[in-house]
Amino acid sequence: MNLLSLSISHHTASVDVREKMWLSVDETKQALQQLKKRYFNECVLVSTCNRTELYGMTSTVQYQDGELKKFLIDFKKAGDNVRPEHFVGSFAGGAVNHLFKVAAGIDSMVIGDIQILNQVKKAFNVASEVDALGPILNRLKQSTLHVGKRTRAETTICEGAVSVSYAAVELASKIFEDLSKKSALLIGAGKTGELTVKHLMGKGIGEVRVANRTRAKAESLVSSFGVGSVVDYEDMVDGLRAVDIVITSVNSPSYIVQPEDVHKVMKQRSNNPLFIIDIGVPRNVNPASKKIDNVFLYDIDSLGTIVDKNLGKRKAEIPKVTTIIREEMVDFFRWYNSLQVGPTIHEFRDALEAIRQEEVQKNINRFRPEDRELVELVTKRIVNKILHQPTTTLKRAAENGIKGKETIFRIEALRELFGIKGDRKDRNEE
Amino acid sequence: MDLINVVDFFAVAIPLLYAGLVGLYAISFFGDKPFANRLKSPALIATAVLHLVYIGLRTAAFDHPPITTVFEIMTLLAACIALGYTYIELRTGATNTGFFILLLALVFQVVSSLYIKDLTDIAPILRSRLLGFHVSTALLGYTGISLSAVYGFLYLMLYHDIKSSRFGLIYHRLPNLEMLEKMSYKAAVLGFFMLTVAIIVGLFWLPRAFESFSYWDPKLIGSLVIWVLYAVGLSAKRKLGWQGRKTMIVSLVGFGFVFLSMTVVNLYMSGFHSFE
Repeated sequence: MNLLSLSISHHTASVDVREKMWLSVDETKQALQQLKKRYFNECVLVSTCNRTELYGMTSTVQYQDGELKKFLIDFKKAGDNVRPEHFVGSFAGGAVNHLFKVAAGIDSMVIGDIQILNQVKKAFNVASEVDALGPILNRLKQSTLHVGKRTRAETTICEGAVSVSYAAVELASKIFEDLSKKSALLIGAGKTGELTVKHLMGKGIGEVRVANRTRAKAESLVSSFGVGSVVDYEDMVDGLRAVDIVITSVNSPSYIVQPEDVHKVMKQRSNNPLFIIDIGVPRNVNPASKKIDNVFLYDIDSLGTIVDKNLGKRKAEIPKVTTIIREEMVDFFRWYNSLQVGPTIHEFRDALEAIRQEEVQKNINRFRPEDRELVELVTKRIVNKILHQPTTTLKRAAENGIKGKETIFRIEALRELFGIKGDRKDRNEE
Repeated sequence: MDLINVVDFFAVAIPLLYAGLVGLYAISFFGDKPFANRLKSPALIATAVLHLVYIGLRTAAFDHPPITTVFEIMTLLAACIALGYTYIELRTGATNTGFFILLLALVFQVVSSLYIKDLTDIAPILRSRLLGFHVSTALLGYTGISLSAVYGFLYLMLYHDIKSSRFGLIYHRLPNLEMLEKMSYKAAVLGFFMLTVAIIVGLFWLPRAFESFSYWDPKLIGSLVIWVLYAVGLSAKRKLGWQGRKTMIVSLVGFGFVFLSMTVVNLYMSGFHSFE
């Protein structure tokens, strides 16, 4: 199989290098058209923030690995940063295996990242739009999506929060029943705090409030969220009274919330549970507040512990994913091998011969004994005549050594029309 | 005679069914096995229906509803708990608390089946309609209290795990704290209301029916203690804003008294409440 792949990813290059190789949808389309013209029968380009990968079916085994790398680098005019050594290539089974691993999320920076499957799917769709996909890559696409789906359904590799912000949101949904009836207050700015609020919004949080020492900053955050209101920073402690979830991320050398504050607030809010996520470093909320009933206080370290544990659990699922990948590879190559001309002709001949023998046997007694040899001869000749045209057409294609679209189409049609199953398993379009 | 044989068969089969059911819920809770996840809800409904059949047959075979001895009442209580849980599961779709609740039903049913007797001759007073009403309201009260206690117990486990950052099975399988608290509270309110009705009926009507009636009956006193405890707990929640852990502890203590009242008081203390 002449499938080859080239990959530049977080395994091989730092972010400032690999970001130079990132391709927009338009760039991808352009590159695919040129690649198809110069090197490939079929090809696809997957480009995400962590990787850019090329998969292509060549007509001949002689391809210039270096030439392809150079093409990609030149296409992005990234010669100053990206060197050919930043790419790794693989071939045939290795390339399929790599693609499956990527789709299953075990090659990702964060193991089990579920976004990657959609990105791979999108990449194949883009390739299809510029007519860069043929029968092989189309089938490979189906298998790849199948790997991704099975991974999600049969393993827990995508489960459990693996970022501090998401871990906080997961905890919130273990404390509260319906987040749409709850409100959150973000005190201070900072990426993680902002992300946490965004995740909470994704879970349908009812109300968002923001407090910041610089009021303008709070206002700009609110407008970036699209919802919410600004609370005066001075009234911040008082603000704890009316919300259920508090995220603090303030640069302050001392605690901004003390247990006495929390005590007072809890009385005012008639002991309704209060979930405090303290992601400030140093901490913003005095940890002694944790002892108060119905107060759930988490700092960045305890959230980090959750993340580490979940990552460990995901890693433990890798063997299951590898098994799925192996099964799907077997399935894919079984299909691929069934496309070979030789065996197909052979099986076709066997199928017709079986029909001939069956009919002759059933009816042989109707002939006089002296004619029976002739019957054998005539029927054999008929079968051979029927076989002649399709066989030579397929053989001619085989001699050219090209697995063109046409040949594959013919083989598949022949197998389907005459019910020659071979080893291959049928699968519906995903 | 035949009917009695059938009833005896059921008396053995029902606790076994509950054991199987609890097993299924346990496998589902601890092992998350697909077959258990799929089977447990149908098995729950089947068991509850068969249990009702058993109670019906028992009533027919011995010509009185099974309310005359503590062991007869225990099978009723087990059935009420199972039915109450079935309702909750169908209503909320949360199936992971079943193991803990049905375990309670199993305990009551096993004790009942071990000691239940085939009684056909019972005191005529026990055939009174109003007594039936008194007993069924008390039963519903106890069911509410039991359910409230189990949810309270689960709440406390989850509360503790979340507070101390332990994220094990309890954390992953149980529903959220707010929901557990709500369930416990609703069950407690229902239980308290029913218990109130049972006590009112008991206090105002039964003295006229029983010659041996005494206000010092241990069961009566036990029930009053439970009633006061729940009255205090529920009003503390309303008036003092008690939430979460404290109310759950009250619920568990209340259940402890119910359990004592069902077992120790019934078995080892004499009073007009025992009719054997």
